[in-house]
Amino acid sequence: MSQPGPTDLPTDLPTDLPVDLPVEGPEVPGGDWFRLDPRMLLVHPVREVIRFLPALVIVAVAGSGLSGGVPWQLAGVLVPIAIGLLRYLTTSFRIAEGRLELRTGLVMRRSRSARLERVRTVDISASLIHRLLDLSTVRIGTGTNADDQQLELDGLRSTGALRLRDDLLRVSPVAPDPGGAVPLAGDGPEDAGGTHATPPAYAPDAPPTLVLDPRWARYAPLTSTGVVVLAGILGAGGQLLQSADELLPEPSRVTDGPGLPGLVTALVLVAVALVATAVLAVLGYLATNWGLTLRRSAGSWQLRRGLFTTRDTSIDEERLAGVRLHEPLSLRLVGAARLSAIVTGLAGSQAASAMIVPPAPARVAAGVAGEVLGAPGVADAALEPHGPAATRRRWIRALVPALVLAAVPVVLVLALDLTAWLLLVTVALPVLAGVLAADRARTLGHAHVGHHVVARSGSVVRRRDSLGDEHVIGVNLRATWFQRRVGLSTLRATTAGGPQAVTVPDVPTDRAVALALAVLPDVVGQFVDASPAEPLRR
Amino acid sequence: MLAEGLESAVAIGVLWAALALPGWVDVRWWWVALAITAAVAYMVVVPQWRYLVHRWEVTDTAVYTQVGWWSRERRIAPMSRIQTVDYTESGLSRLFGLATVTITTASAAGALSVAGLDRTVARGLADELTHKADAVEGDAT
Repeated sequence: MSQPGPTDLPTDLPTDLPVDLPVEGPEVPGGDWFRLDPRMLLVHPVREVIRFLPALVIVAVAGSGLSGGVPWQLAGVLVPIAIGLLRYLTTSFRIAEGRLELRTGLVMRRSRSARLERVRTVDISASLIHRLLDLSTVRIGTGTNADDQQLELDGLRSTGALRLRDDLLRVSPVAPDPGGAVPLAGDGPEDAGGTHATPPAYAPDAPPTLVLDPRWARYAPLTSTGVVVLAGILGAGGQLLQSADELLPEPSRVTDGPGLPGLVTALVLVAVALVATAVLAVLGYLATNWGLTLRRSAGSWQLRRGLFTTRDTSIDEERLAGVRLHEPLSLRLVGAARLSAIVTGLAGSQAASAMIVPPAPARVAAGVAGEVLGAPGVADAALEPHGPAATRRRWIRALVPALVLAAVPVVLVLALDLTAWLLLVTVALPVLAGVLAADRARTLGHAHVGHHVVARSGSVVRRRDSLGDEHVIGVNLRATWFQRRVGLSTLRATTAGGPQAVTVPDVPTDRAVALALAVLPDVVGQFVDASPAEPLRR
Repeated sequence: MLAEGLESAVAIGVLWAALALPGWVDVRWWWVALAITAAVAYMVVVPQWRYLVHRWEVTDTAVYTQVGWWSRERRIAPMSRIQTVDYTESGLSRLFGLATVTITTASAAGALSVAGLDRTVARGLADELTHKADAVEGDAT
């Protein structure tokens, strides 16, 4: 396995980048291939050993029984080490011609490259093994949604990783200071620090926008993760209870309805499950978000967090299209919220790195939203309600299905002579639906403030989206026959990141068009006719 | 428009075959009659309705479409945000010399589609859009 030399350079790469980019500087040996940090030689074998652990155990057990036991056991250790070594030798990367190129693979060689100005996020993480060896994994997001297109440099010296991040993010927007040196991430221990031409963009003394308060972990059991864990525990507990019932010989255990011992057992189990869920959720929250700091530096937002595996995410400010404030019912009841960023070119599974405030007091999340949007008054702008027609629609849409479902127990009781307790459902369902409808109607709202579209909707899953005008890449206006009858439309301002669109449901059509006009005046204006009922041409 | 007719004919056929042929359900003649009536009504009404609703317009800076029947959707995409322009002829529409032009933006929620155009018109539209979108600066995100 020889290192690919400069003769392997492809010569037909496009050179449409400005020549004064930092990576193209004269002192830069542009186009040299770098290996990952040699300390990865330690990480890879450890990882391979862990992966091969079941096989190793078998080999060790079987090997001791055989006559030639020692060579077998030796092979079990050597093969993973050899694989790690080969991986180290076959992985190389370089920055040249405005591209970051990465070559991997032994049998199947893969070469991936990304244009530097297309870099949108740089994610630095470090597992426990990495942290012991002062190494980091760098993931570079370039806006494709395909996961295998993500470039991953697993194993750079931590200082080198930070410099690579800073350099990449300096290149991707218009480079403000084209004097930086190339990130020589993998070569030698002494290249960090002093010889670097420009101060690192990461300025630790800049006051952070947000620092985690560990007390916020009390919100963790109320998040969906908490609920999922609880469901898992309850499910497992239920199965346990069931099998315990089957194992126990008494036939009188459960005859008609749970008897007292069964009830007590169930209650205790539920209580245990609740406590266990809360503890697990809090621990998970703390492990993920420990030491979370969010700060802005040199044209990007940087989020650092993690107790065991640390994660350092950078979001290019140019790509930060807006924010979404999540206020699910459970969090809202205790005055908490989450915040995520809508990042252009970041969607689907990558959207996890767009989380910027974990469950925290609502005013903290809103404050960070204001800072991140960089436009005063957007995060706490008063919203315009959608009017009586939208409210009626919320009520009808909640009550009709509820009433239909509420009729089912009545039929069952009358026709099949079941217990009258079922009628409780008939009473409870419409009441619940009414509460839901009232809240949904109250939540509906939109605004156009400070060059941002703001929209809020939902009740159980309430969210408030704010999206910068320049990130709106289209307008959809949708209306069913029911909506047209009462003059409502659903407006979607589409964008290239996160949820792909900000939805303003059931807004009066004239106001929807007015909003679209405010966002894209020139584009929408040419299709508007002066008709009060139906302003948009049809 | 013919596609809808074919769709409902196939749907009725499949339904009938699934219900009647194995002899699971005793299919009454009026069920079939009802289904056929509904399908015919759908075939007569919906394509006309769609045809009345469908609109498209191209200016120097934007594309505007209106599609649908029961639910009606109007979409506007700025020329500067157009990423791809697709020209497709499905098997059925080729019989009638028709084509569909689909315009996508960087948002998964923002694709515009102009269906059932005359082939030459569709070709012209696709070329026009390609040129106009190409003339605008930016990476369309």
